[in-house]
Amino acid sequence: MTLLTVENLTVALPPGGDRDHAIEDVNFTLDAGEILCIVGESGSGKSISAAAIMGLLPPALKVQTGIIGFEGNDLLRLPPEAMRVLRGRRLGMIFQEPMTALNPLMRVGDQIAEVLQVHNVRGSSSRVPELLAAVNLPDPARLARSYPHLLSGGQRQRVMIAMALALEPAVLIADEPTTALDVTTQMQILRLIKDIQRRRGMGVLFITHDFGVVAEIADRVVVMRQGHIVETGAVAAVLDTPQHDYTKALIAAVPHLARPPEPAATGRPVLELVGVRKTFWRGGGLFGRRVAVPAVSDADIVLRKGETLGLVGESGSGKSTLARCVVNLVHPEAGAIRFHDTDLRLLSRANWKPFRNRIQMVFQDPFASLNPRRRVGDIIATGPMAHGVSRHEAHRRVRDLLALVQLDPGAAERYPHEFSGGQRQRIGIARALAMEPELLIADEPVSALDVSVQAQILALLEELRQRLGLTMLFITHDLRVAAQICGRVAVMQRGVIVEQGLTSEVFSAPQHPYTRGLLDSIPGRSWLPPVA
Amino acid sequence: MNGFLAAYLRNRGAIAGVVVLLFVAFVAATASVLFPFSPWDMRGIPFAMPGEMDFLLGSDSLGRDVAAGIAYGARVSLLIGAVSTAVAVFLGVTLGAIAGYAGGIIDDAIMRFSEFFQTVPSFVLAVVLVAIFSPSLGSIVAAIAIVSWPPVTRVIRAEFLSLRSREFVQAAEVLGRSRLAIVFLEILPNALTPIIVLSSLMVANAILLESGLSFLGLGDPNMMSWGFMIGAGRSVIRLAWWMSVFPGVAIFLTVLALNLVGEGLSDALNPRLARRR
Repeated sequence: MTLLTVENLTVALPPGGDRDHAIEDVNFTLDAGEILCIVGESGSGKSISAAAIMGLLPPALKVQTGIIGFEGNDLLRLPPEAMRVLRGRRLGMIFQEPMTALNPLMRVGDQIAEVLQVHNVRGSSSRVPELLAAVNLPDPARLARSYPHLLSGGQRQRVMIAMALALEPAVLIADEPTTALDVTTQMQILRLIKDIQRRRGMGVLFITHDFGVVAEIADRVVVMRQGHIVETGAVAAVLDTPQHDYTKALIAAVPHLARPPEPAATGRPVLELVGVRKTFWRGGGLFGRRVAVPAVSDADIVLRKGETLGLVGESGSGKSTLARCVVNLVHPEAGAIRFHDTDLRLLSRANWKPFRNRIQMVFQDPFASLNPRRRVGDIIATGPMAHGVSRHEAHRRVRDLLALVQLDPGAAERYPHEFSGGQRQRIGIARALAMEPELLIADEPVSALDVSVQAQILALLEELRQRLGLTMLFITHDLRVAAQICGRVAVMQRGVIVEQGLTSEVFSAPQHPYTRGLLDSIPGRSWLPPVA
Repeated sequence: MNGFLAAYLRNRGAIAGVVVLLFVAFVAATASVLFPFSPWDMRGIPFAMPGEMDFLLGSDSLGRDVAAGIAYGARVSLLIGAVSTAVAVFLGVTLGAIAGYAGGIIDDAIMRFSEFFQTVPSFVLAVVLVAIFSPSLGSIVAAIAIVSWPPVTRVIRAEFLSLRSREFVQAAEVLGRSRLAIVFLEILPNALTPIIVLSSLMVANAILLESGLSFLGLGDPNMMSWGFMIGAGRSVIRLAWWMSVFPGVAIFLTVLALNLVGEGLSDALNPRLARRR
């Protein structure tokens, strides 16, 4: 039975943008009891499609043509009052960012009860614990009395789901509901959505950028690109025998879990961390007591020449802190950080300077890691100039570096905001390589990028590593990425390295229960992308 | 840059502000051409009505030309507004940058020091400072600067605190740049926007402070100023309303224009806010 039909939907963008329509001529249907995934990269119009269904389009975007048929009505032509009755009651929605989707000043239970009261459902207070229990939250009665800040991201997302389900809607729209969550939490939420959908026979419209999630949860798939639908079909058909070139390219760009095992590196150790410990102090001030938050405890790592060590873990596991300890952005209170024969931890700022040439870092956020007020050429030339290379010479080398990261030499004269995320990340890599380092620390360099761009950056890093003989410390939360690029991995949990070893061994025979849990949580683990 | 100009020109109040300011600046610059005599000179009978005996805006109790007084007073107002703001911004940016970048005890020390100035009402402190150092252009500028730097420090410190943890600053650190280069070349250019907006409002505030001081007789005795003119006309306001009204209108328009410009700048430099209205 068809629940929702979207026909010829076209939404115009304000004039002056890079294209005329946010989405153009979009057609799809959603049946009762199925999960339809809309998958696409950023800017593909997948979220706009969902917003159009809910009547939540930003005021600047206008629907030009189309029909959204739902229970005999055209949602685009319903008066606002009628739409308000439908929203919540028949159409539920969950959002990407659970941290900001709840009112911080209202108890969780009251927020859920409010949904029921708004739609004039009696006996709302007694139903709240029931709803919280339905989304597998522990101790629903106590949790209903908590404020949102006491809940973790995953718990908040469950509360959001409980709110969306309160009135048993026929359609649930989920806009990237697990993107902001850790893999293990993501897996729990995915299972929960699937479970509730089966029990209630809802239609779920699930928006995601992650093909692993698609493989995990979808019945049918719609692939979008730049506002157009390029392919629609059953999940098995689209994932294993994609027809459209774009779908093929996207799926080929998904990091493959399988990487041919490599012999362990036996070269000289470049970097050795022995018992590194870092504690952050929270609170304090004049009257409060300071609370110790251990970020890294007793980390031991050896990095040999030419190898890539992956540091994997969920958010808050201390992997970024450990990386920042190595480049002296964070000062650990104990342990030794030996780079060749020098203990970097004991060096003063001035004595550190020569090592800046040899250890460099690539940052996570391509939008925040480049100074918006400086030209790209200046950004790349800054490092060498700070170490005494003449201005002329530094700028001459910018051209070679831009070619090395496959950017146009004209890029040097432009400002960072003129570039896309992937191009900015290339600039960040060029900035690090300008120093001709032997050790490169990459802190989640691809996690803010679309999957096809991610594949390009990973390929670039791999090529540079081989060509320049770099040793690399690669930090990531994405196990697929780690499996593709790292020879060895170290798994971190709450500041402790719980397991390390060759990637192939850790992935095929994990020793620690946490590693096992992480591996089981990779979405769509059973699906292996067809190798092109 | 064109985007900035277009965004600024969309705000009609801001355009009016610029027009008024340009007019005031023009009058100040051409005062000695328009009125080729000292504003202290007796030019005719006292208490001449506006329009009487070639007095455009009337004459005061000593037969001085009110229009000439306003034109010469514009010089003093603009000069004091600009110079004291420049000094205050320099002080505020330096201290705020140090506090925000260094953090810890240095931050605490600088902020407590700035609070010391903020707990005393700024006008009272300015009166005391000018009274101690005897009224002159220099002492007035110094007093106004001393009472108006703390807000700049707070704003710059807040900007630095948030920018300091940005990845491009960390990248500069990892590249081995010196602390000075990081503060002045990486962070400061990104913190300028609120300072530009704040300084336009500070100029307005400085003009008001100067008028207040000279109204109380603490202005530079050798310079004609708007506050002094109002103070002198205050006792005869029933007899000669024009003596205090026209300088008052001049202060009102200039300060209003500066506030409009400040608001226009803030909208244009922060397009996300402007569009929401």
